Amino acid sequence: MEIANIVLDGFLMGTIYALVALGLTLIFGIIKIINFAHGSFLMLSMYVAYWLVKSIGVDVYWSILIPVPVMFLIGYGLNHTLIVPVLKKEKGVREPLSVLLLTAGLWTFMDNIALMLFGPYFRSVQTPYSGKMIRLGMLSLRLPLCVGFLITIATALFLYCLLYKTKLGRAIRATGQDREAAFEVGVDVYRIYDVSFGIGIAILGVAGAVLLPMFYVHPTSGVVFDIRAFIIVVLGGLGSIPGAFAGGILIGVIEALGSFWIGSTWIQAWINILFVLFLFFRPMGLFGIERG
Amino acid sequence: MNYVYWIMILPFVVLGVTPLAFKSVIVLQVLTTVMWYACLVLSWNLVGGYAGVLPLGHAAYVGIGAYISSLLFIHHNISPWFGMLIGGATASLFAFVIGYPSLRLRGPYYALASIATLEALRMVTENVDQIGPWSIRGARGLLLPLGNKWWLMQSQDKAFFYYFILAFLILLILGEYRFRYSRWGYQLVAAGQNEDAARALGVSVANLKVHALLVSAFLSAMLGTFYAQFVLYIFPQGILSLTLSFEIAYIAIVGGKGTILGPVLGAFLLVPASEISRFYLGGRLLGLNLVVYGLMIVIFMRYLPGGLMELGSKLVRRFKNGG
Repeated sequence: MEIANIVLDGFLMGTIYALVALGLTLIFGIIKIINFAHGSFLMLSMYVAYWLVKSIGVDVYWSILIPVPVMFLIGYGLNHTLIVPVLKKEKGVREPLSVLLLTAGLWTFMDNIALMLFGPYFRSVQTPYSGKMIRLGMLSLRLPLCVGFLITIATALFLYCLLYKTKLGRAIRATGQDREAAFEVGVDVYRIYDVSFGIGIAILGVAGAVLLPMFYVHPTSGVVFDIRAFIIVVLGGLGSIPGAFAGGILIGVIEALGSFWIGSTWIQAWINILFVLFLFFRPMGLFGIERG
Repeated sequence: MNYVYWIMILPFVVLGVTPLAFKSVIVLQVLTTVMWYACLVLSWNLVGGYAGVLPLGHAAYVGIGAYISSLLFIHHNISPWFGMLIGGATASLFAFVIGYPSLRLRGPYYALASIATLEALRMVTENVDQIGPWSIRGARGLLLPLGNKWWLMQSQDKAFFYYFILAFLILLILGEYRFRYSRWGYQLVAAGQNEDAARALGVSVANLKVHALLVSAFLSAMLGTFYAQFVLYIFPQGILSLTLSFEIAYIAIVGGKGTILGPVLGAFLLVPASEISRFYLGGRLLGLNLVVYGLMIVIFMRYLPGGLMELGSKLVRRFKNGG
């Protein structure tokens, strides 16, 4: 029974990891860039949620309504002013690395400016949800984990409807599939990039609040999730949204079982080792098809 | 052409006499660190500059070099001069095992693989206290015994390390210059710029890239040994960190990766600023140097992706056209 509980715990945690990875995979799928600063944006939105709960006293889950539009605007603006000009300049280059470096620079910049401004303190906020348990027969689950799971499902459904049921979504998907063809039929490709980047970052506004009752807020909070999110999206296949969920759940369960059997620090090392091996043998992901 | 030579040699003559002119320990310490970074960036440049990939985990090789030579020194009393070579060989072996499959990966995948490899190595080092007879001491790191003998690569005199790294830097610049304009150098650059075209012309792309990585790893590991002897304390969060790896890449890019002057220029401009701020600001403005690094990378990528070398060549061109 204990094992079942651990697996379920890992499963729920895995979906929340997937929530973090969702924006990363969306941005890769549409713009074809890896956003190294993804974790830093998560850290930022965790701080926003923290201050909202701490100073205004809003409920942690209702606080989502503020960071989401804020993060969208930040993402939209950054993509518009920084990333798109570099992409335009590097159009003919075979291995575009400039944008990769730009987001890496952003990562270093954001994490360290947070360190300067907020200090190296581990902050946490006591919410009515922290530490509460739900009992389901023999199983007992952490309440914030269950709420987080439900919010993740809601976010994924929202994203699905946005991508598959709206005109904007169709334009986004068309851009991801074939940029030139989308341009030919009149899609403003670079504006779609801005919007996609904005959406990818806005999802982190949700994730920040979901993680707040369970994790410390710290300038390096993002790094852990950043590297985990890279692993998840590569496992699931870069650009694939169902893949992000599969990868997230896989990592969540491995981590939960591994922490139980060999300790939480060792399992992190093993996940990295296995990831490198995986990258060597199946860089296209678990379900990907090898492209020539 | 002759005067260009002299302009190139002049800074090294100045560096050569600096310890005689300044007795300040801080000046020597900062300059030694600057040259250490310059060497490290030049080693990185062999892969990151020419081979068309973005290695973001070079601290792995630095750490391997530092740990191997230090462990041999502490537990078997083997001189770090010798340990430096063993460390280099170990790092090259590691680079071969990792590099052979990973250098086939393109663009972001290689960068991710290099990060994940380094993180795995750091986490394992942090969690291991003992390997056989060697005590690794996990996250606490290794303290090196203090000696004052040149054959143990140690000296109370800072000038010893200063001249050592200066010589290393000069040899590295000359060596990389010869390599860059050799047959292999041209082939590697061609492979980095357009892999398929280079392969079609008969360049064995994969082998060339792996060889460049092996040399790069060997040199980085030697510099790791130097660091351990210079600072006498190494720990995984420092010598095996993502931060160090990113610093190396950032300095190369600000200077101009894929050139020889660029990495040296980048190190001499960026490292003193961050070292001096560390000296005078102490713990007050944590991470300031990295804020500056990150910001510079964003600005350079946006406006000047070729780094300072691109700026230089633009200015020279304008000067020639105007004059």
